[in-house]
Amino acid sequence: MEEFCEITLDRERLRSEVRNTYTQVAKAPTGDFHFHRGPEYAARLLGYDSAELAALPGSATASFAGVGNPFRVREIPAGAVVVDLGSGAGMDCLLAGRRVGAQGRVVGVDMTDAMLDLARKSATEAGMPQVSFAFGEITDLPVDDESVDVVISNGVINLAVDKHEVFRDIYRVLKPGGWIQFADIVIDQDLSEKARNDIDLWVG
Amino acid sequence: MMQETGFQGCAAKEFFDSFAGTTKEGIARKYGVRGANFIAYKI
Repeated sequence: MEEFCEITLDRERLRSEVRNTYTQVAKAPTGDFHFHRGPEYAARLLGYDSAELAALPGSATASFAGVGNPFRVREIPAGAVVVDLGSGAGMDCLLAGRRVGAQGRVVGVDMTDAMLDLARKSATEAGMPQVSFAFGEITDLPVDDESVDVVISNGVINLAVDKHEVFRDIYRVLKPGGWIQFADIVIDQDLSEKARNDIDLWVG
Repeated sequence: MMQETGFQGCAAKEFFDSFAGTTKEGIARKYGVRGANFIAYKI
């Protein structure tokens, strides 16, 4: 279907709006947004384990704004190398860090400095040296070719105009035999050209 | 789209009513916007 979805919006403006929105979420997660945030939402609507979330630093969970739960897709193996696309304040990275253990490694990639600051603080507070974070775009991951066992993501790929570019780079970094388990939004109906190019709908 | 990239075993596994209770709930219901879990493999 994507061949028929021409996107003509200002990509730089979209990138800037996304960065601004999630900077606001990082700084004031209880603010007025069009989407849910936080651990109560994650447990109630997405099936995260509330006790496991309660064990994480609040700095990681308060700004969580995912739309699904990648951890329900399949188990992440101990010792795995995991990359999280659009890691935000790091909640999913810390959950992945618990699963891969000290022998594994988790790298969260995000393009919002305020989220990266929160995520790094949270990993330190959680005592998880196996979890680190890097500035980057999900279309150009700062990750070596064929170096990753599992890619995760939650509510982020939809924000990229060129999804082919995103999946090509995921494919590049995955080892043969690796996989992506991720959550994102789906829509049952075709959107008008006007709606497809409305930045407020993309970001909101 | 994932298959075009080379992924195999692509599947949607579960859906979520991610926008229930938000100010966008009406629009989400009108257009069928939901959260979903996916998996795909690089063989």
